[in-house]
Amino acid sequence: MSMLGLLATMKLGEATSGGGFWMPESASTVAPEVDSVFYFINNINYFFFALCMVILIWFAFRYHAKPSEHATFAADAPTHNTPLELTWTVVPLLLVGVIFWLGMDGYLELNESPEDAYEVQVTGQKWSWTFQHPEFGVTEAAELTVPLNKPVRLIMTSSDVLHSLFIPAFRVKNDVVPGRYTSLWFEANKPGQYRLYCAEYCGKDHSKMLAVVNVLPEDEFQTRLGKLAREYEDIDDRDLPAYGLTRLYNRCASCHSLDGSSGTGPSFKGLWDRTRKGTTVFTNGQDLKDLAGPGGEFEVPENYLRDSILNPQRHIVQNYTGSMPTFKGQLKERQIDALVLMIKNLDRLVDEQGVPIENPDLEGADISTGAGQ
Amino acid sequence: MSQVHIQGDEHGHDHPEFLAHHWSSPVQQFEAGKLGMWLFLATEILLFGGLFVAYAVWRSNHPEIFAYGSQFLDTTWGAINTAVLLTSSMTMAMAVTFAARGKMKAVVVTLILTLMGAGGFMAIKYVEYSHKFHEGFYPGLSFYEEPEASHLWLPLEETAIAHKDAVAAHEAAGSAALAAEDAARAELPAAPAEAQVWNQPKAGLGPEGLTTDQELLDTAELAIFLPPSVLGNIEDQHEEVAFAEHHAPGEQVHLSHPLQDPERPVNAQKFFTIYFLMTGLHGIHVVVGGIVILWLLILTLRGRFSRKYYTPVDLGGLYWHIVDVIWIFLFPLFYLI
Amino acid sequence: MTTINTQPLDRPAIEGDNYLTHSRGFLSWILTLDHKRIGVMYLVSVLACFLLGGLFALAVRTQLLVPDGLIMDQDQYNQAFTLHGGIMVFLVIIPGIPAALGNFVLPIMLGAKDVAFPRLNLFSYWLWIVGAIFLVVSIFAGLDTGWTFYTPYSIDQNSAMGGVIPAVTGAFLLGFASIFTGMNFIVTIHRLRPDGMTWFRMPLFLWSLYATAVIQVLATPVLGITLALLAVERAFGIGIFNPALGGDPVLFQHFFWFYSHPAVYIMILPAMGVVSELIAVHSHRHIFGYHFIAWSSIAIAIFSFLVWGHHMFTSGQSPLMNVIFSFITFSVAIPSAVKVFNWLATMYKGSISWNTAMLYGMGFIFLFLIGGLTGLYLGTLATDVYLHDTYFVVAHFHYTMMGSALIGFIGGLHHWWPKITGKMFNENAGRIAFFLFLIGYNMTFFTQFMLGSHGMPRRYATYPADAGFQNYNIISTIGSYLMAISFFMMAGYFIASIFGGKRAAANPWGGRSLEWQCSSPPPHDNFSEQPAVGDCYDFSVLRWDEATQGYVWREDVEHPGHHTEEAAHA
Ligand code: HEA
Ligand code: HEA
Ligand code: HEC
Ligand code: CUA
Ligand SMILES: [Cu+2]
Repeated sequence: MSMLGLLATMKLGEATSGGGFWMPESASTVAPEVDSVFYFINNINYFFFALCMVILIWFAFRYHAKPSEHATFAADAPTHNTPLELTWTVVPLLLVGVIFWLGMDGYLELNESPEDAYEVQVTGQKWSWTFQHPEFGVTEAAELTVPLNKPVRLIMTSSDVLHSLFIPAFRVKNDVVPGRYTSLWFEANKPGQYRLYCAEYCGKDHSKMLAVVNVLPEDEFQTRLGKLAREYEDIDDRDLPAYGLTRLYNRCASCHSLDGSSGTGPSFKGLWDRTRKGTTVFTNGQDLKDLAGPGGEFEVPENYLRDSILNPQRHIVQNYTGSMPTFKGQLKERQIDALVLMIKNLDRLVDEQGVPIENPDLEGADISTGAGQ
Repeated sequence: MSQVHIQGDEHGHDHPEFLAHHWSSPVQQFEAGKLGMWLFLATEILLFGGLFVAYAVWRSNHPEIFAYGSQFLDTTWGAINTAVLLTSSMTMAMAVTFAARGKMKAVVVTLILTLMGAGGFMAIKYVEYSHKFHEGFYPGLSFYEEPEASHLWLPLEETAIAHKDAVAAHEAAGSAALAAEDAARAELPAAPAEAQVWNQPKAGLGPEGLTTDQELLDTAELAIFLPPSVLGNIEDQHEEVAFAEHHAPGEQVHLSHPLQDPERPVNAQKFFTIYFLMTGLHGIHVVVGGIVILWLLILTLRGRFSRKYYTPVDLGGLYWHIVDVIWIFLFPLFYLI
Repeated sequence: MTTINTQPLDRPAIEGDNYLTHSRGFLSWILTLDHKRIGVMYLVSVLACFLLGGLFALAVRTQLLVPDGLIMDQDQYNQAFTLHGGIMVFLVIIPGIPAALGNFVLPIMLGAKDVAFPRLNLFSYWLWIVGAIFLVVSIFAGLDTGWTFYTPYSIDQNSAMGGVIPAVTGAFLLGFASIFTGMNFIVTIHRLRPDGMTWFRMPLFLWSLYATAVIQVLATPVLGITLALLAVERAFGIGIFNPALGGDPVLFQHFFWFYSHPAVYIMILPAMGVVSELIAVHSHRHIFGYHFIAWSSIAIAIFSFLVWGHHMFTSGQSPLMNVIFSFITFSVAIPSAVKVFNWLATMYKGSISWNTAMLYGMGFIFLFLIGGLTGLYLGTLATDVYLHDTYFVVAHFHYTMMGSALIGFIGGLHHWWPKITGKMFNENAGRIAFFLFLIGYNMTFFTQFMLGSHGMPRRYATYPADAGFQNYNIISTIGSYLMAISFFMMAGYFIASIFGGKRAAANPWGGRSLEWQCSSPPPHDNFSEQPAVGDCYDFSVLRWDEATQGYVWREDVEHPGHHTEEAAHA
C-alpha cells in the first residue's frame, strides 16, 4: 500500500536541492527554509501517524472478538483518565505552537523583500503573463528573465480576474489581483529554466497560463536584456513580420491559432482576407464594410487590426465574446506594426498547417501598415 | 421525574387539539416554539449582519460616497417611519399581553392597529422609493442610466446674449476682429431642448488600488465588467458630452440635477445600492410580518386562541419586534450619519 | 409510582406496523411528517447526488490520464470539476449526516417521538430539493467558477459561462434548508429530552449534531447573504466585489470562507459523532473520555468561526492577519487530536467485532489522521504559500471530506442500515468493498499529495507533459476506478439486502443507545412507552443471543424497564 512506499522512501528532515520524494528541485534562497519547515512538520506527522496507526492496528487485533465471545465485557477498562487526557491535549498544543512559530518566521522572510531588489512589473491577463523590466524598457511575454544571485521583486497586477503567480522551484506564490498591486520576491541561486504557473483559477485556459523563468548569471542577463531592449528598434522593416511571429505571437497564441481552427478568438489564418474585404461580421450585426472606407472609422483596413489590438472591446466579432484583453501600453508602436504586418503576411510566414516556415520568403511582401495612407 | 413531566402532569390528560402528538405538554410545546423562534431570529440578524458588514466595509473604503449619498435621503420621512414602526411594535406587545389575559377583542383591535402600522410603513417607503427612482437614484449600474428628471441645461441662451452684448461693445470700441469672434460664438446653435447628459461612471480601481487619474480604467477596459446595455449607454453619451463641450467651451456645464454634479464622487451608485439592498430586504420582512399579523388576526377572529394557547401571537410578536429593531439600526446608519 | 415494564429488549418487530408500513402510497411519503421517512427521503436524494458527483469526478480523473487531457476540452473540464465540487459539498456532504442519518436517528436516540417541528422538517426537505434542482440545472448553463465562486471571475460578463445565478440561488436555498434542519435539532435537543436524558447522558452523536447545528444556524445566513450579494452584483453591477467599480474582489473571499470554513466542520463534526458511536458500540467498550469528546465538539464549533483567513494566505491580505489566522488555525487541531486519542483509548481492552461498520470507523481514524495532519502544512504560513492551490490542498480536503466525513457517513449508513430497513446486508461483501475502497482511495489521493508538493496547480485541465506529473496522475486515475467499483459494490449489496437480506434483530450490533431499544425498523411513533435512559455506553448489561442474532439484556442484570405511558402521566 502507499503507506509502505512512503515509509520506504522516507527522508527525514533532509532538504535536497535536486528534488526529493516530497519536494521538487529548489533554486532559490528561501526554498531550503520552506523545505525545512515542511520536513519538520513531516517528522512530527510521521511520529503521530505511526503512533496512532500502531496502536489502532495492535488493539484491533489484540482485542478482536467474535460476537459469540462477547459473553463478558471488560468491566475493568477505564472510562477516563484525566491526567492522560490532559497530556494528550497539552503536548500537541505545544507542538503546534512550535510549528506555528517556524512557519511564521519563514513567512515573514518570504514577505520582506530586500531594499535593493531588482524590480519587474508583472501583468496577468487571461491567459498570459507579461513581464516588464522598467530598467531596460523591455517587455517579455511567456518568459521571465532574471539575474542569478540577486533579489528580484515582482510587482504584480491583473487586468481582468484573479490570477496567481507560482514558481515551484523558488517556493513562491502570490495572487495577482485586479485593481491593486501585490508583490513577491525571490533570489534565484541556480541558473537554468524553471516553470511558472498560474495557480488561481481564472477561466477557460487557466491551465495554459504558463511561462518560463530564465535565470541567467548577471553578465549574461545584462547582455540579454540589452539585446531585447533594442530588438525591435534594430530590426529592419522587412524583418518585422517574421519578428512578429517569432517574438510576439506567443502572447496571442493562447487564443488565436495559425491553422484556421477557432479558439477563444478567431484564427489569424484568413483574417487579413476577411479584413481587407470587410466581410467580418460583428455581434451587433454590423459588417466591417460598414465601417471601412473613406470617412469610415477605418479608412484603411490595417487600422482595424490595430484597433482590435488596442481596443478589442469596440467591435466584437460574431460568435466570440469580448474576452480579449487590451494590449494598450504593453506593446510598443513598432511591435504593433510587427503584429499587423505578421497578420497581413501570414500566408508567407506559415504553411497550410500553421507551422512557421524556416526562412520565409518575404520578397515583395506588403510591409506597409497603412499608417502613411 | 423530570420537570417536563411534572408540567405535563399539571395539564393532565386533556390533549388539546393544538398539541401535536410528539409533545407531552402545551408548556413544552410553547417553550420549544419560543426557542425555535429565537434561533430563527438569530439567523435573521446574521443575515442582516452580512449586509451591515458590507455597509461598514464600503463606508470605511469610500466615506465620501456615503457622505454624499445620505444627503439625498429624506430624514423627515425616515423619522416618521421610525415612529410608525415603534408604535406598531407597541401595539403588538399589547396584543400579546391581552392574549395572555384572554381579552380577545382587545387582541383584535391591537392587531389591526399593528397591521395599519405595517401598511403605513410600506406606504411611506413606497413614496420614498418612487421619489428616488424618479430622480434616478437606482441601485447598481442602472444608476447611470438616464434619470427621468434630469436635463442637461446648457446656459447657451445666456451666453449668446452675453456674446451679443460683447459684439456690441467691441464694435463700439472699433475692434472688428474681436467683434467677429464674439459674433461667431453667439451664432452657435442652441442645444436641443431635450439634450440629456449624464456623467460616465469613472471607475476607480480597487479601494487600496490605483487612484491617480492615469490609472483610471477607460471604457474599453471597463467593458470587461459591464453589461452591454450600460456600455451602449456610455458610448452614446460620449457624443453628447462632446457636444456640450463644443457648444460651451470651457463653461461649467450647469446640470439641473445633483446626480450630474461633476463633484459627485466616483461610484456614487454604491450608496444607493446598499441603501436599497438593506431597506429593501427590511421591507420584505415588513411585508412578511404584515402577512403573519393578518394571519394571526384571522385566527383570532375564528377564536383559535385562548388564554391557554396563544403561542403564535407570542411568536409573531417576537418576529415583529426584530423587524422593528433592525429598522432602528438602519435609520441612523442611512439617514442620520 | 413508576410501573416497570419488564418486556425484553428484543421485542420482535410488530409485523405490519413499522414506520415503513404504517401508511402507504406515494403521498404518504412526500407529505410525511415522520422524521424517519424524511430522513430516508434525504438519504435517497443524497446518495443519488453522490452518484452524480462521483460520475463527474470520474470524468475529471479520466481527463487527467494524459497531459493534454483525454476526453474534454478546457471549458468542459472546468464545468466538470465545478459541478463535482458543488454537488459533493452542497448536496452530499453537508446534508449527508445531519439531514439524512441525523433526521432518522436523532429523535429516536433521544427518546422522542419526532423532531420539534415536523412541518419545518418536511419544508426543509422540499426546499432542499428545489435548491438541488437549481444547482444541477446550472450544469446546462455551463457553470464553471469552481465551487468557491471567486469574484471577479464569477461576475465577469464575458467569460463563456452562465449558470452563476441559478447555482447561487440553489446554494442559497440549500443553505436555508440546512439552517432549518439545524434549528430543528437544537430545539429538539433542548426541549424534547425525556426523563433521565440529561445533557451528559446523551450519546456523543447527539453532541456532535448539536455542535453542528449551532454552526449551521450561525454561519449559513452569512453564506446566504454573500451569495445574494454575488447574484445582485452579477445581475445589476452594484460594485461591491467588482474592482472596476471600486469594489474589492478579496472581500468576497472573506465572506465566502467565513461560512465555508465552519462548513468544513459542519461536514466533519457529525462524522466524528458517528465514529464515536461506531468505535464504542463495535468495541463493546465504554467510550473513553466522554466529557472531553463532548466538549471538544463544542470547542471545534467555536474555533471554527475564527480561522477562515487561512484560505487566503496568498490573497494579498496583510501579513499580520495571516499570522493571526495561522495561529488560530492550529487551535482547531487540538480538539481533533483529543478525539482521535480518545477513540484509540476506547478500543483498549475492548471486545472488538470486525463488522463492516467498525472497519469504517477504523478507516476513518486512518484517513482522518492523514487528512488532519496534512492540514498542519497548510495552516503553517511558510509551507502554505507554497502548497496553496496545488493538488496538495486537493488531497488534503479529499482526505478530510471524503476519507473522513464521507466515510463517517458511509460507516453510519452501515451501522444504522438494519435499523432503517430492518434488513441485514452481506457483511463479507461489505468487508471486501471496504478494503477495495481503502486501496483505491489511497491510490487516488495519496498520489495527489505528491503531485501537489511537486507543484501541480489545481483546476488544471491539462498539464505540461515533461513536468513529471503524469505517472502520479495515472495511478490516481486507476485508483479512482477501483474506488468507483467499491461504491457500486456497496450500492449492490445494500439494494440486495432490501430484497433478500436477513431480517435484522432489534439490536444486531450491541448498542445501548435508545434507537437499539425499539424494533428494526422502528414503529411509527418510535416509542409507545417512554424508554428508560441509562448510561448509553455501558455495554456490560448486554449479551449476544444466537437465536435472534442480536444482543439482548443479560438475565442476571436487573432491567430498568420502560416507563409506560401510564407511568409517565400518572
Ligand atoms: C471536512 C473537511 C475538513 C476538515 C476536517 C479540515 C481540517 C483542517 N484543515 Fe482543511 N480544508 C478543507 C476541508 C477540511 N479541512 C477544504 C474543503 C479545503 C479547501 C477548500 C478549497 O480551497 O476548495 C481545506 C483547506 C485548508 C486550508 C487552506 C489551504 C489553501 O487553500 O492554501 C488550510 C490552511 O490552514 C486547512 C487547514 C486545516 C486544519 C489545520 C484542519 C484541522 O482541523 C485538522 C485537525 C486534525 C489533526 C491535526 C489530526 C489529529 C491530531 C493528532 C493525531 C494529534 C497530533 C497532532 C498534532 C501534533 C497537532 N485546510
Ligand atoms: C465530499 C466531497 C467530495 C467527494 C466525496 C469527492 C470525491 C472524489 N473527488 Fe473530488 N472534489 C471535491 C469534493 C469531493 N470529491 C471538491 C470540493 C473539489 C474542489 C472543486 C473545485 O476546485 O471547485 C474536488 C475536486 C476534485 C479534483 C480536482 C479537480 C481539479 O482541481 O482540477 C479531483 C481530481 O482528481 C477530484 C477527484 C475525486 C474523485 C476521484 C472522487 C471519488 O472518490 C468519487 C467516487 C464516487 C463515485 C464513483 C460514485 C459512486 C456512487 C454510487 C455508486 C452510488 C452510491 C451508493 C451507495 C454508496 C449506497 N475531486
Ligand atoms: C484572451 C484571449 C486573447 C488574446 C490573448 C488575444 N486575443 Fe485577439 N481576440 C480574442 C477574441 C475573443 C477576439 C474576438 C472578439 C473581438 O473581436 O474582440 C479577438 C479578436 C482579435 C482580432 C480581430 C479578429 C477578427 O476576426 O476581426 C485581432 C486582429 C486580434 N484579436 C489580434 C490579437 C493580437 C495581435 C493578439 C496578441 C498580441 C491577441 N489578439 C491576443 C481573444 C484574444
Ligand atoms: Cu490565470 Cu489561472
Ligand atoms: Cu478552512
